[in-house]
Amino acid sequence: MTTTESVSAPASPRVAAGQPLLTVDRLGVEFRLRDTTVRAVSDLSLTVRAGELLAIVGESGCGKSVLAHALLGLLPGNATTTGHAVLHEPDSEPVDLITCGQRHLARRVRGRRLGLVPQSPATALNPVRTGRRLLAETLRAHGRDRADAEQLAVDVGLDPTDLDRYPHELSGGMAQRLVTALALAPDPALLIADEPTTGLDRPLVDHTLDLLRRRCDNGSAVVLITHDLAAAQRVADTVAVMYASRIVEHRDTDQLFTAPAHPYASALLDALPDRAFRPVPGDPPMLTALPPGCAFAPRCPRRTDACTDRPEPTPVTGGGTAACHHPILPGATT
Amino acid sequence: MTRSGRLAGAGAVVRRRLLVAVPVLAATSVGMFALGAASPVDPAKQYAGAAAFTASEENLAQIRANWGVDDPLPVQYLRWIGNLVQGDLGWSTSRHEPVAAVLSDRAGWTLLLIGVTLALVLVGSLLLGALAAYRRGGLFDRGLRAAAYAVESMPVFWLGLAAIAVFALALGWFPAGGLTDVTATSTSWADVAHHLILPVGVLAVSQAPWFVLFVRDAVAESMRDDHVLAARARGLPGRTILFGHALRTALLPFLTLVGTHLPELVGGAVLVETVFSLPGLGAVTVAAALGSDFPLLAAITLVTTAVVLAANLTTDLAYAAADPRVRLDG
Amino acid sequence: MADLATRQPLLHLARSRLRLRLRPGQTGVVIAGLVLLVAVAGSLLAPLVWPLDQSAVALDQTRLAPSWAHLAGTDDLGRDVAHRAVYGLRVSLLVGAVAALVATVLGGVVGGIAGTLGGRVDRILMRIVDTIAAMPHLLLGIFIVAMLRPSLGAVIASVGLTHWLSTARIVRSELLSLRTRPFIDAAISGGAGRLRVLTRHLLPHVLPRLALATTLMIPHAVWHETALSFLGLGLPPHLASLGNMINDGQGSLLTGAWWASLAPGAVIVVVTLAIAVLAARWRDRLDPRVRAELHL
Repeated sequence: MTTTESVSAPASPRVAAGQPLLTVDRLGVEFRLRDTTVRAVSDLSLTVRAGELLAIVGESGCGKSVLAHALLGLLPGNATTTGHAVLHEPDSEPVDLITCGQRHLARRVRGRRLGLVPQSPATALNPVRTGRRLLAETLRAHGRDRADAEQLAVDVGLDPTDLDRYPHELSGGMAQRLVTALALAPDPALLIADEPTTGLDRPLVDHTLDLLRRRCDNGSAVVLITHDLAAAQRVADTVAVMYASRIVEHRDTDQLFTAPAHPYASALLDALPDRAFRPVPGDPPMLTALPPGCAFAPRCPRRTDACTDRPEPTPVTGGGTAACHHPILPGATT
Repeated sequence: MTRSGRLAGAGAVVRRRLLVAVPVLAATSVGMFALGAASPVDPAKQYAGAAAFTASEENLAQIRANWGVDDPLPVQYLRWIGNLVQGDLGWSTSRHEPVAAVLSDRAGWTLLLIGVTLALVLVGSLLLGALAAYRRGGLFDRGLRAAAYAVESMPVFWLGLAAIAVFALALGWFPAGGLTDVTATSTSWADVAHHLILPVGVLAVSQAPWFVLFVRDAVAESMRDDHVLAARARGLPGRTILFGHALRTALLPFLTLVGTHLPELVGGAVLVETVFSLPGLGAVTVAAALGSDFPLLAAITLVTTAVVLAANLTTDLAYAAADPRVRLDG
Repeated sequence: MADLATRQPLLHLARSRLRLRLRPGQTGVVIAGLVLLVAVAGSLLAPLVWPLDQSAVALDQTRLAPSWAHLAGTDDLGRDVAHRAVYGLRVSLLVGAVAALVATVLGGVVGGIAGTLGGRVDRILMRIVDTIAAMPHLLLGIFIVAMLRPSLGAVIASVGLTHWLSTARIVRSELLSLRTRPFIDAAISGGAGRLRVLTRHLLPHVLPRLALATTLMIPHAVWHETALSFLGLGLPPHLASLGNMINDGQGSLLTGAWWASLAPGAVIVVVTLAIAVLAARWRDRLDPRVRAELHL
């Protein structure tokens, strides 16, 4: 399926595989509304290494997409961001994405070092431009040959003749592949893909996931934001489970799927059709009124009085972390 | 879809618009005629001018008969509108020459004033509005908006007089009025341009606030669109994001609204021409109004309306050409 | 720990409120309110405290520059510009308010008919509105004044007949959007007649918008009136109106006595700006779309 001269293969200088590429430290994002405040991301810490594919999973509205926009500095004016997110570069000083300012982000970071496949491709495309013009413009802005557009289209599984259509003439799946191609055009060292498989049928989902996997195998890194656990299991090296603005468990993919430590991760897995197919009981909390303790406690079968204190992420057996006072230990039964 | 394919329905659109505009214009002309008929002014006396005071009642009656002013009103209306349609715009009682001659003498200067001003306003407002929107809430944005609101409340003729006081009288940079130097024997374009700088500037500044504020709001709104955020995420240069994406999509509704704002521009031009004593339609209109010259006033008003309607149609067609989502035959 | 987590959002909220209160717009609204208060009080009380003889001239005091005796100087007939400007404002505000009211009533009736009847009537009325909108206001206004001969009534008719379009559109769209709301359906299925639905359910929703439209119209009415007077087509020339004063002062302007023309104009600018600022704030409160801007 791959051609050897595939243009989405990384070419620019890269951080050596296994070295940290992005270090997020206690990141917080708040939105100030007229009469209330929404905490969309709280105390979030994680590291993405070169060559790693990290999947962030969780129910919709848990803050996954806000995290992506915060890293790119694209939040609206009423958002306040705290903490650090340091991007490591091969030949220069690391930059803190939160404090470096819009100018630096626009000139040095966005596109080339940190790319985004945005959610909802239908609205993410300029309605008065064809795909070919958008691709050519992006390629040119990053010093690449505009003729690469055709190859990029092939890479994401799009018929090159469809590049001459306007966005309103594309199906949802075609638009999705086009925004993926656009994000790949600058050849980013780290790509954040926010639900990149929306509207695609099964073979194209697999095609897209394989494409992302190959980028990691070639030394780039990918953060895959998804609610599709099967997709995460298929391609991710590590998986971070997000619940109510926090990461509750972050572990190697195999370990998480065989022995989840956090009750919420366990409940999510039980909801899979090929497992117990039992939905998580209760509803997720409102981000405007998060409880002071563990946000999952009200829905948790293992809760005790200790859960009114917020659990910090702590290492679990076999590597990784979980933020729970009563983690499910390997070998124990639930 | 190709552009020519999308514009295939243009002919049908033009026909449909005419079907609407013609009856409504006809109804408007009836209204204007009724107002003219209700006017206390005697057209015969007006035609006779100063001679009316010495003319015998017999002579006036003769004039009335010639003009058919004693015919029933519907007959008079049909005769008037029939002549209009055939291109005979009537006889101007204030200028004592055919209305068509007045229009052909004067309209060119007014069109020049309006055309140059519109071009200036469009370029200026797109540039300033987009820049203000790019740094929303910044110093430039706040300053520009305050200035726009202030200018918007200044009557254009007052602005013109203030400009004369400052730039013509105090600084002596530009002439205070007229189109050519009084000593000039022939019309030189350089001289005309020098005389037009102040009137065009004043008209442009007085019209700009509406355009600037509209562009600013539309682009500011568009800067928060998903597709503009996506363009920023791709690391495109600021200029490309602002002019190629945010402004480009905000431009489309702006285009149609420019057409609706033309009547305002025409009114402003009349006042500016009066302030700067320019030989356009403005001065003639005022003189015609003072002399209750129905044929000339009605012709000027109806012709301008037809021109504005045609301009509106043009902007709509331009919209269809610029936006791939619009199909005219749909 | 728990304490901190709950207090932090409050801190942010407090900071945002503080910023809102100190927004320059707020100062502007206060200044605008004061200006309008002075303008209205001044034009109401002027005949009592500072009477003016409209026809008096003082040919020994022509074109005096502004001083403590004549705050805005004197014109080429020796008349005190500031004194006459107060009376000019009185006339302009009166004409502006009456004309704006006429325009609103006319627009309200047309828009009301189009919005409640809908269908074919609505289409025809709106086409008429669209076509009249394509006629330059000022030209149409000049035509109306010319046919009726310049007078106070003609000026009011000129403003009224050219400025009703926006009100008609507002009322119509408001009514059309209300018609689809459930509570109107409920009233109709409850057996309420058309008139009753109109007066009891629709009017209360439309009236605030109408009041706002009238207020927003006043500056336009004032500009239209002063423009007509400036062209010599407005109020009788001996009457102190702001437009007449600007027109009279044009001759003095060319001889360097700028105040006779520019001072009355400055009064128009300040007062109409004040009305516009207050009306804009009022509209912000009325229009939830603007409020939504603070949200995500």
